[in-house]
Amino acid sequence: MYRAGRGLTTSTPPPSPPPLAPGDLGAFVQESADAGELVVQPRMGMVGPEEMARGVAAVAALPERTVATLTIDSYTRVGDHAAATAAVRAGRPLNGFPLVSHGPRTGARVAAAAGRGTPVQVRHGSADPMAIFRTMAAAGLAASEGGPVSYCLPYGRTPLAESVAAWRDSVQFLTEESRAHGRRAHLESFGGCLLGQLCPPSLLVAVSVLECLFFVANGATSVSLSYAQQTHPAQDTGALTALRRLADEFLPPAVDRHIVLYTYMGVYPRTVPGARLLLRRSAELAVRGGAQRLIVKTETEAHRIPTVQENLTALRIAAEAARAARGTPGARPSGADAEETFAEARTLVTAVLTLSDDLGVALLKAFDRGLLDVPFCLHPDNRGAVRSTVAPDGRLQWTDLGGLPLLTTSRRTIPMTSRQLSGMLDRVAREHDRAAAARPAPDPAPRASPPPSAAPLRVAFAGMGPRGLSVLERLAARCAEEPPARPLEVFAVDPYEAGAGRIWRTDQSPWFLMNTPAQEVTMFSGPADDGPHRPGAGPTLGEWWAEEDPAGAEPEGYAPRAVYGRYLTYVMARIEETLPPWLTVHRVPARVICADRAREGDGPDAGAHRLRLDRGDVLTVDRLVLATGHPLTELDAEQRAWQRFAKEHSTPARPVKYVAGGSASEMPLAEIPAGASVGILGMGLTFYDILTELTLGRGGTFTEGEEGLLYLPSGKEPRILAGSRGGVPLLTRGANQKGPEHRYRARLFTPERMAALRAGGAPLDFERTVLPWLLAEVNLVLLATRIRHAHGPEAAEEFTERGVALLDGRSDPRPRLLERLAAGHRIDARPLTGLDALARPFAGRRFGSSAEYHKVLTEWLRADLAEARRGNADGPLKAAADVLRDVRQTIRTVVDFGGLTPDSHRWFLAEFGPVAAMVSTGPPQLRSEQFLALLAAGVLEPVGPGARFQADPVEGRFAVESAQVENSWVALDVVVDARVPGTDLAADRDPLIRGLMVDGEIRTFTNAAEGAGEFATGGLDCTDSPFHPVRADGSVDTSTHVIGIPSEHTRWFTQVGSGRPGPWGSFTRDADAIAAALLGGGAA
Amino acid sequence: MTPSARPQSLRSPEPSRRVLLTTGSSDAHTWNLVHLQLFLEEHGHSVLNLGPCVPEQLLVDTARMTSPDLVVLSSVNGHGHQDGLRAARALRADHRTRSVPMVIGGLLGISPEGAADRTAELLDAGYDEVYEDGTPPTALLRRLAGLGGACTGRAAA
Repeated sequence: MYRAGRGLTTSTPPPSPPPLAPGDLGAFVQESADAGELVVQPRMGMVGPEEMARGVAAVAALPERTVATLTIDSYTRVGDHAAATAAVRAGRPLNGFPLVSHGPRTGARVAAAAGRGTPVQVRHGSADPMAIFRTMAAAGLAASEGGPVSYCLPYGRTPLAESVAAWRDSVQFLTEESRAHGRRAHLESFGGCLLGQLCPPSLLVAVSVLECLFFVANGATSVSLSYAQQTHPAQDTGALTALRRLADEFLPPAVDRHIVLYTYMGVYPRTVPGARLLLRRSAELAVRGGAQRLIVKTETEAHRIPTVQENLTALRIAAEAARAARGTPGARPSGADAEETFAEARTLVTAVLTLSDDLGVALLKAFDRGLLDVPFCLHPDNRGAVRSTVAPDGRLQWTDLGGLPLLTTSRRTIPMTSRQLSGMLDRVAREHDRAAAARPAPDPAPRASPPPSAAPLRVAFAGMGPRGLSVLERLAARCAEEPPARPLEVFAVDPYEAGAGRIWRTDQSPWFLMNTPAQEVTMFSGPADDGPHRPGAGPTLGEWWAEEDPAGAEPEGYAPRAVYGRYLTYVMARIEETLPPWLTVHRVPARVICADRAREGDGPDAGAHRLRLDRGDVLTVDRLVLATGHPLTELDAEQRAWQRFAKEHSTPARPVKYVAGGSASEMPLAEIPAGASVGILGMGLTFYDILTELTLGRGGTFTEGEEGLLYLPSGKEPRILAGSRGGVPLLTRGANQKGPEHRYRARLFTPERMAALRAGGAPLDFERTVLPWLLAEVNLVLLATRIRHAHGPEAAEEFTERGVALLDGRSDPRPRLLERLAAGHRIDARPLTGLDALARPFAGRRFGSSAEYHKVLTEWLRADLAEARRGNADGPLKAAADVLRDVRQTIRTVVDFGGLTPDSHRWFLAEFGPVAAMVSTGPPQLRSEQFLALLAAGVLEPVGPGARFQADPVEGRFAVESAQVENSWVALDVVVDARVPGTDLAADRDPLIRGLMVDGEIRTFTNAAEGAGEFATGGLDCTDSPFHPVRADGSVDTSTHVIGIPSEHTRWFTQVGSGRPGPWGSFTRDADAIAAALLGGGAA
Repeated sequence: MTPSARPQSLRSPEPSRRVLLTTGSSDAHTWNLVHLQLFLEEHGHSVLNLGPCVPEQLLVDTARMTSPDLVVLSSVNGHGHQDGLRAARALRADHRTRSVPMVIGGLLGISPEGAADRTAELLDAGYDEVYEDGTPPTALLRRLAGLGGACTGRAAA
C-alpha cells in the first residue's frame, strides 16, 4: 500500500475533491496564509462542557484568525475513562476536557460554540486514540493532533508497536468516517515537539515528516507538520526552512499541508514580561520561518493551567507580533543552519523509508535499531543511546549520535550532571526573564524622593579587581535601597578590565584554576531572586557559570581563573546597568601614578585628592579607596643577584633564566625550551599553575590508568624539579560535602573566648595562648569524626559535648585530655600534637636517594588523597583541617591590628601562616592526582625537603639540592620563583604607594610593645573598620579607605578574592563598612 | 591507601540507597524524572526510574521485586494528588510493600488552592513526606540519609 521515496501516492487519491465543509482546518489556514495572516491557536481544556464551550466561543470571537482547541485531560489520554468519568461525577478538577466521558452529543455542542467559520481541533496525547476518534467522528470533529511516535514515546509506556497499530487503524477510521460525512480529516504531527526540550532540530523535523507520511499512507489528505521553538532563533528558522523543503519533497503534491509552530514547549519564563517576550519571539519566528499556524503559550504557563482570559491575551499578543514582524524585515535566516538541519533530517527520513514499504513497520525497525532515537526519552522502546546539549552559542547539538545514521567527526560524549541538565532546561526561561527585565520599561516602583541637587561626592577606586568591586557592589546596593544625602560619582581606575583587574584577567590560560569551588564563590552580596541580577541580588559564580556554559560548567568543581574574570566583569556590567539615578560610575582605564591634595587656595576642591593618571590627566576626588591588590615588589638582594647571574651566564645555545615570582599568568613560561631543566621554587598554588602550564599547556594529556591517572607527554615539556621547605605539595583539599552556605560553629575556639583572651591580655603570644585552643578545636573535630564513623552521630555528639565541658574551664586545653576522653571509644584516639605533624611530614627524615624520596612522597600523597576522598565532613583528617578554614575569621580577630606581641606576630607570619596554608588551602583532588601522574611519568622530580636553590658559578647555571636527600644535586637552566611575594610597602613598585609613603600619607605597620621589641611588618597601617590609613605622624586619613592585600600583616589573610554565598563573611562585611562610610552612615 | 586514583567524584560517602523513582499513572512528564535520577545518582544512590505514566500495578510489582529503600513519586501534570493517592493505596494494600518508605513531590494540583488539604490527605494515605512545588531535591538526600537500617546494597537499576 505504501511505497517509499518520491512521487508516492496514497491508496485512495480523491479524483475530484468534493467541496470542503466549513471549518475545515487545512483550508482555513491556507486562506489565512493567502491573506498574509498567521493563524493563532491556544491549548485549552476545561472539565465542564459549559466552561469549555465558553472558552471555545471566546477564542472564535477574537478578531484574529484563530483555531479553537479542545485539549483532552490526562485520564482520557491514557484510556482511563473510568477515572475521568469518576472525576466528572465527583466534581473534581481535571487538566483537560474529558471528551469521551462527556460523549459525542456534548462534544458537538461544545464545538458548535466556535460557530461555522472557526475550525476546532482536538489535542490529546493518546497513544491509542481510537476512543477519542470515535467520539470525535460522532461529534462531527475532524481535526486532531498526534502521531504514532510523538504521542507514544514522550507520553508513557504503551509499546511503540501498539501505538503504531492503533494509530494506523485510528487514522484510517477518522479519515474514512470524515469523508463519509462530507468532511476532510486533518492530522497534525506532534513530531516537532517530542520531549519538548534538548532534541536537536533534525530529529524533530524528520519525525514530523515521517508521521505526516504515515498519516497520508493511511488515508489523510490534509496534514500539518510541526516544529517547536527551541533555543536559538537562527537554528529554528533554519529548521522551519528544512521542514518545508522536506515536506515538499516527500509529500504527494495533492496532499494539503502547512507548517505549524509551537511556542517554546520547555520550562517557561516565570515572569509575565519574560513569558510575553518569548511568545512574541515565537510569532516572529513563525513569520520568518514561513509557518502558517502558531500554537501559543500563556504568561502563566510556568505556574498553572491558564484561564480563558490569559489564553485570549496570548493569542492577541502573538497575532500582533506576527503582523509587526511581517512589516519589518527580520534577520536573514542562516543558510548554514537550514542546510545542516535539512541534510541531517533528510538522511534520517530516507534511512527510515528504506527499512520497509510499510511505514509503520519502518518506524518500528528504526527505533529498534536506533536509527531514530530521542535523547533523554525513557520509553522502553527508545534506545536512549543518543545525547544532546545546548552549545555555548545556544544551538542544540548532538553530543552522542548513538546509532543515528549521521556523520560527525567533532562531537564527543560528555557526561551531563543534573545541574548542567537543569541549567539547559531552564536556559530559555532564564534568558527571557532577564532580557525582559533589562528592557526599558515604565518605571513601576515609585522612587523615594530624588536626592538634593548637591554637588556629587566624588570617589576614586585605585584598583577595580574583586576588592574594589565588592565595595562598589555594596555602594550600589545601598544607594538602590535608600537615596544618599548627596549624589555619588565613582571613578573605577584600573589599567586592566574593570571588575577582573590584573589577577583575574579574562585572557589568561584556561589551565589556571581557582582554589575555591565555584558554588562557594559570589560577588553579589545577596542571592539571585526573581528580579534582574543587580547589586544585592545575583548569582554565585557556580550559578552564573552553569547558565553561561551549561555543557562545560562544573559549579561544584573549580573554575578556571579566566572564567571568574568573566564573572567579575559581568558583575561590573550589572552594577553599571542597574545604577540608581544618583549614582554614576565611570571606568577609567589608567593607572594612578601619584596623588596629592589640593591646597587651601584651590577653592571648593581644597583638601581633595588629586590623582595624576599615567595617561596624563588629573582626577580630583573627595574620597579614595585603595584596592590595589597583589603587589609588584622590588626583588630582594638574593633575587637581584640571581637575575644578574642569569643574565651573565645565559648564552643563545644554553639560555639561563630566572623568573621572578608573581602571578603565573604573567610569567614568560612559553619561553622555556622543551627539555630544559627547570627548578620551581615553592610548591604552593602558584607551583600548580606553573606545573599545569608546562605540561597540559604544552599538549600533554592525562588519561585514566589502572592505578589512577597516567600522563601522556607531548614531548614539549621541560624537566621539572620542584623544591620547597617541607618538600611536599600542599595537602589535598577534602572532597566537599558541605553546602555552599555551610558555616562551622566552633565549640572551643570561639569568637567569644578569643575576644576574652584579647581583652584580658593583649598583646598575646599566639603559640602559647591561642594555638592550644585552635588545636583543641581541630582535635575535637578529628576525634568526633572518627567516633561518628565507628559509633554513629549520637556518640560523636556526646563526645563533643563532654569534650567541650572538660576543656571549657581550663586555661590549658591539652590534647591529652581529649585523647583520654576518646580512648574509651575503641577508635584511634591519638590527637594531633601540632599542625606540623601534617604539614611537615618529613621533618628530620633522611633519604638515601631521590628514588627513595619519590617513593615515600608518592605513598604519602596517595594516603593524603585517600583522606581527601573521604571528604571534608566525613574524613576525620580533612574535617579537622577544614576547621582552620572555618575559623579563619576568629583567628583574624585575635591577630589583626596588633593583637600579638611583636615576636609572636613574627612567628605567626613566618611559621603558623605557611603551615596553616599547607593544611587548609590545598588544591582539589585532581591536582594531587596529576602531581602523582607527572611524578610517575618522570616529568616532575621533587627535589626533597629543605631544598636549597643557588647560583652555581662553576657550572654557570643554577642548581638545587635537598639537605635531606643524598645525591639530590641537580643543575638548572631556569629557576621559576613560585613563592607569592609578600606585602612590603617599602619595596612596592607601585608609584602611587611609593608616593604616598614618601609623603607620609601612609605608613607601614610596626608592631611594637613596650620592652618587647619591634616587628616591622611591611603592611599598610590602618584603623579597624572602616579601614582608614594611618599617616606617618600617627593621624588618621578619614577621606581614604584601604581594603585587601595592601593591608596584609596589619590584618591577616587578605588574599581572598571572593565573597561566599549565605551569611556575610568578612569579605562582604568589610566592603559594606566602607560603602556605608562613603555614604556618610554607620556600618551595618 | 587506595590503589587507584580516580578523577574527582561527586559521590558522597553517605550510604548508598536504592530509590524507585516513579510518577502518576496519568503523568507524561519526563524531565523531572531524568533530572532526579541524575541528581540522586550523582549523590551515590542507585535509581530505578520507571519513566512516565506508571500504572499502579507496575509500581507495586516493581517495588515487590526490588524492595527499594525509598519510593519517590514526582508529578507535575496537576493530577499528582489523585494519582498519588491511588499509588499509595496500591502500595499500602500489598503486605510486601506496605512498609516501604515513600515520598511524593511536585506540582500536585492544577492550582495552589487546597494544597494543605492535599498534603494532609496524601500523608494520611501513607506518604512519609509531601514536598511542595519548589522544594530543592536536596530534601531527598536528607530523607535518604535519615533512613534507618543497614544499607541494602546496590543492585536493581
